[in-house]
Amino acid sequence: MLALLDAWFLAPFDYGFMRRAVVGGLALSLAAPPLGVFLVLRGMSLIGDAMAHAILPGVALGFLLAGFSLPIMSVGGVLFGLLVALLAGAVSKMGGQREDAAMASFFIISLAAGVMLISIGGSSVDLTHVLFGSILAINSTALLLIASISTLIVIILAIIFRALVVECLDPLFLRGQSRRSGWVHSVFLGLLVLNLTAGFQTLGTLMAVGLMMLPATSARFWSKRLEGLIGIAIVLAMIASTGGLLLSFHLDIPSGPSIILLAGVGYLLSALFGRYHSLAAKLRRKTTPLALE
Amino acid sequence: MSERSLSRLQLHDLHLAQGGRTVLEHVDGDIKPGAITALIGANGAGKSTLIQAIMGELRPTSGEVVCTVDKARRAWLPQQLALDLTFPMSVEELVMTGSWPSHGALKGYCAAHYRKGRDIMARLGISHLAHRPLGELSGGQRQRALIGRTLMQEAALLLLDEPFANVDSETVDVLIPIFRQMADDGMTLIVVLHDMDHLRRLADEVLMLNGGRGRWLAPSALNHQHHASAQIVPFTIGGRHAGTA
Repeated sequence: MLALLDAWFLAPFDYGFMRRAVVGGLALSLAAPPLGVFLVLRGMSLIGDAMAHAILPGVALGFLLAGFSLPIMSVGGVLFGLLVALLAGAVSKMGGQREDAAMASFFIISLAAGVMLISIGGSSVDLTHVLFGSILAINSTALLLIASISTLIVIILAIIFRALVVECLDPLFLRGQSRRSGWVHSVFLGLLVLNLTAGFQTLGTLMAVGLMMLPATSARFWSKRLEGLIGIAIVLAMIASTGGLLLSFHLDIPSGPSIILLAGVGYLLSALFGRYHSLAAKLRRKTTPLALE
Repeated sequence: MSERSLSRLQLHDLHLAQGGRTVLEHVDGDIKPGAITALIGANGAGKSTLIQAIMGELRPTSGEVVCTVDKARRAWLPQQLALDLTFPMSVEELVMTGSWPSHGALKGYCAAHYRKGRDIMARLGISHLAHRPLGELSGGQRQRALIGRTLMQEAALLLLDEPFANVDSETVDVLIPIFRQMADDGMTLIVVLHDMDHLRRLADEVLMLNGGRGRWLAPSALNHQHHASAQIVPFTIGGRHAGTA
């Protein structure tokens, strides 16, 4: 029994790449879920997805310029993501179009441009790698980058936390209170881009958003308090990223999809058995009034 | 003239337009501090437009709003709240966000501030709801929590757009003395009212908007009009509550 546990849970970490991958995954699991919680609360769940596509051309340009260098690809991704966020904001202000409509237009353009750029400059292996990630490629530099970005996100989030909460709850109040209230939203979008850039190495650009959204949407079934939502989302993300890596190692399946699918299983279980709004909770509620009568 | 310079909010020959259509013209006024000014008029007379202009959300086409109150000390409870009620926040947390002018985005709340928040909730009769999520409150309870936030904010200017709409009568009875106390403490209050009874209980000054113009009335004159000519009052009080007025 012990031998089996050892073989499943400890032995994989004899490999350096697994150790780096799990540390990277845990770092991401600290930074991504709180952002996801705020996205869900603001009814902006799909914006994360859009931003994930938006960083792709930047990553691709970095790849074309410097080959498979994570720092340069990340810088490209961050710059391009911020550019798209700015453009989408500007278009929605200018044309009266809602921000999500502008974002939807830009992200599909970005996706096409990114795939085109990588295909021109590299092989289909490179494309798969950027789109779906690979734990094998996490070297010490990449790990340092992921950890630094995650730390930065957590710190900045702590600084803007109160403003972000007030802005989500009552934007009009914040506008009355602070002339810089517009900043909060921009900084938040910036954090989103940073996080997705950090995530694409392990999970790939397309799936980096999963570690952000799925734990957050699952947490909604377990807590009604903001701290609770964030805490639960982080724990779920940690379980999913570590468990997904182990599954990926043992079953020889791609790491990104394993992590996200495991988080997906967590979501389905939460939707079925969670404390609030889940199927089980609905059934429970139906029986109570009858029992009272 | 010396009194004029004391008031924190003045309207000078104000012209306001909404979407290219002129709503108000030649509105003058000197909103007295330490008094409750009622804003009345039929639906569409421009009450909300005037409030937007006072809050600085709408630029006048001509004339000006002179307001010496710091922006952070102005509070506005619009009729259509921008409040996201699904956001997981408790009554106490909402009241505490009112400490923004003194604490900003970063400074931690100290015990004294929490005590102040609890005192405010006790005054409003919502202490038992302190940990209740906002989404589970009734209209009246929510209104009290929001007034709690303005008290925490130590607002010097409070604009209330129909504060008693969709609110239970108990809440009205709790809020009216609190508004009076706020005015006695030197705060400037502008309240959009529809109900004659509320008007009688609250208003020190009355600004009636009608036909694009503003007219200042003494509350007693309004009462007088109410008795003297029945035709003015339903028109003034307007819309929904015409029958009850």
